[in-house]
Amino acid sequence: MEEKEVLLDVRNLSKTYRVGSVDIHALRGVTLQIQKGESVCIIGRSGSGKSTLLNLLAGLERVSGGEIVIAGKRLDRMSEGELIRFRQRHVGFVFQSFNLMPYYTALENVAFPLAFRGMARRERNRDAKHILQEVGLETHLRHKPAQMSGGQQQRVGIARALVTNPELVFADEPTGNLDFATGDEVMRTICDICKAAGRTLIMVTHDAHIASFADRVITLLDGRVVEDSSNPLEEK
Amino acid sequence: MKFFDLLQTAFLNLWRRKLRAILTVLGLVVGITSIVVMISLGLGIEKATLDFYESMGSLTIIDVQAGSYSEDGKYVEKKIDDQSIAAFEGVPGVQAVLPMLNLYGLVTSGKYFTNLQILGVDAGTAETFGFTLAEGAMPTYSRGARSYEIVFSPWVLQSFYNPKTWQVAVDREGNSLITKNSRFRLTFDWMNVYGNQSMETPEGYTPGKFYRLELVGVLSEENYNYSWYSLMAKDAVLRLMKENKDFVYAQEGYQSAQIKCVTMDEVASVRQAVMELGYTTYSALDMVEQAQEQTRMLRAVLGAIGAVALLVAAIGIMNTMMMSIYERTREIGIIKVLGCRMGNIVTMFLMEALLIGFFGGLFGLGLSYGASALINLWMARGGGMGMGMGLPFQSVIPLYLAAGGVLFSMVVALISGLYPALRAMRLSALAAIRNE
Ligand SMILES: Nc1ncnc2c1ncn2[C@@H]1O[C@H](COP(=O)(O)OP(=O)(O)OP(=O)(O)O)[C@@H](O)[C@H]1O
Ligand SMILES: [Mg+2]
Repeated sequence: MEEKEVLLDVRNLSKTYRVGSVDIHALRGVTLQIQKGESVCIIGRSGSGKSTLLNLLAGLERVSGGEIVIAGKRLDRMSEGELIRFRQRHVGFVFQSFNLMPYYTALENVAFPLAFRGMARRERNRDAKHILQEVGLETHLRHKPAQMSGGQQQRVGIARALVTNPELVFADEPTGNLDFATGDEVMRTICDICKAAGRTLIMVTHDAHIASFADRVITLLDGRVVEDSSNPLEEK
Repeated sequence: MKFFDLLQTAFLNLWRRKLRAILTVLGLVVGITSIVVMISLGLGIEKATLDFYESMGSLTIIDVQAGSYSEDGKYVEKKIDDQSIAAFEGVPGVQAVLPMLNLYGLVTSGKYFTNLQILGVDAGTAETFGFTLAEGAMPTYSRGARSYEIVFSPWVLQSFYNPKTWQVAVDREGNSLITKNSRFRLTFDWMNVYGNQSMETPEGYTPGKFYRLELVGVLSEENYNYSWYSLMAKDAVLRLMKENKDFVYAQEGYQSAQIKCVTMDEVASVRQAVMELGYTTYSALDMVEQAQEQTRMLRAVLGAIGAVALLVAAIGIMNTMMMSIYERTREIGIIKVLGCRMGNIVTMFLMEALLIGFFGGLFGLGLSYGASALINLWMARGGGMGMGMGLPFQSVIPLYLAAGGVLFSMVVALISGLYPALRAMRLSALAAIRNE
């Protein structure tokens, strides 16, 4: 493999939750590096710490120990305001349960994150329309979430995550709420778009088949990395 | 985020829960309406009081009495004479001084007669002090004239009666027998009217003279302060006093004087200066101040009622917003994950509060204008009189009160929304990720 730029550098990352007087070690020293443009899938048993790792990397939660460096910046040292700004600039997020605004149309939902960046309405709608075309929803611009299928909703979710041109795309079980075939389609969409634009994709799943879409699979067990392989399941 | 986007998002958030938003606004409407109407009543009462005294033209006039009472209640004599009048005139802020040169006389016309309270004034001074004539001209005096010019008080012509029968000088239809064209004579000797009732003529008695009067005018009834006076030129009064020493009480100097100040603002300082000269002073401003004090109390009470209503409304706003934040926890989390800045979240919620405040204030103001119009209608029909309110007053909502009302409503809403907005800002982004 040729020399690549390291985008994400995680060293000895740990996360401990305190529930009452009991410490729960969700992560116990995770060290990994992810290159720019890589698509990585984190798999593991339920409770192994996948979501915790993803949330820490996206700056949604504070670390208990270790460090996270993304694009040369120490994520673990940022304030909440800085983290939001960082997300605004660098991160797109796809949710398992879509989390679309029910009273907004597909177009408005996708354009919403652009409004946070102070973009004018016309440019917002233009960009949103463009990305919705890419995920194959150009016919559903004016539909509200309740008027769309789960797969369509998740496509809107993907469009919303990608509309800001983020370097990093996080997805926590993006197909968790979809049936097998739809999940496949959605995965293909997200992977294709990310690969085409050279975006780094980090997703969580416990479905080995879904993991096969990624370049690299990291397996967690009990808060530790137990396997890290350039995709052994690669079939495509 | 752009300002307009924030505003639109805030408005849509309210609009999505229309009924609740409207109910919250309603609370504010009641609060603002009560406060605005209460203040407008207070302003109206105050304005009516001021207008009343102003219409009497007496707000700038100070009444000066001879002498004064020291702090321990002892009377200290101090006469008002021409010298003190000159001193008053020298006080800065004084426009004119009217020495109250009073003369009590008897006027006969045929077999009828009446009493007359005569005030000696110069035409110029009389004008300054606001003596207005219903008709005619101010009296003048020229030495050696065959008659004295006089201006009657408005009720003189109706008050003639026969001293022997006590019959009032009216005909069967009730019209006065004495008119402007009747002939009048002035005397100061009671015996000229009633005759000598003690049958004994005092030693060295010479009957008082009769003077011919020329009626040159009648005072208007609008002279609240002076309407019981008939006017003669000052020099004429002085001359009559001199000639009738035996019949009139020969006073030294004047009983009182009136000082007209240039504007209301000088009244206090002029009074101070005159009091320092050793005189007692009165001013209608005392009464206005008293009235203001009373309305101020009233307004404070009324305002308190409105304040309670507003407090309840404020709690209502806070409650509504807290509720909506609990409902929107997930939504707030999502927009945080999507990169909505903390400041924007606070602003968005504060804008919701401000919108509630704005509409509450606006509708409250509309209702206030309606209530105000109703009150004025009621007052115009004399409703206030039945309630024992002394002055007919109008509820007035000046522009500053209108603007202030809306602004105040927004401030109240803003303050109520502050805590919920901060709560929303501090909500965790993770709330969006968790699937419940
Ligand atoms: N907020 C929290 N408070 C306390 N413990 C937590 C919290 N979040 C996660 N944990 C614990 O941390 C551990 C890892 O949880 P995590 O959600 O990362 O698992 P996961 O690998 O995503 O599982 P799943 O596949 O079921 O989603 C679990 O034992 C969980 O109970
Ligand atoms: Mg999970």
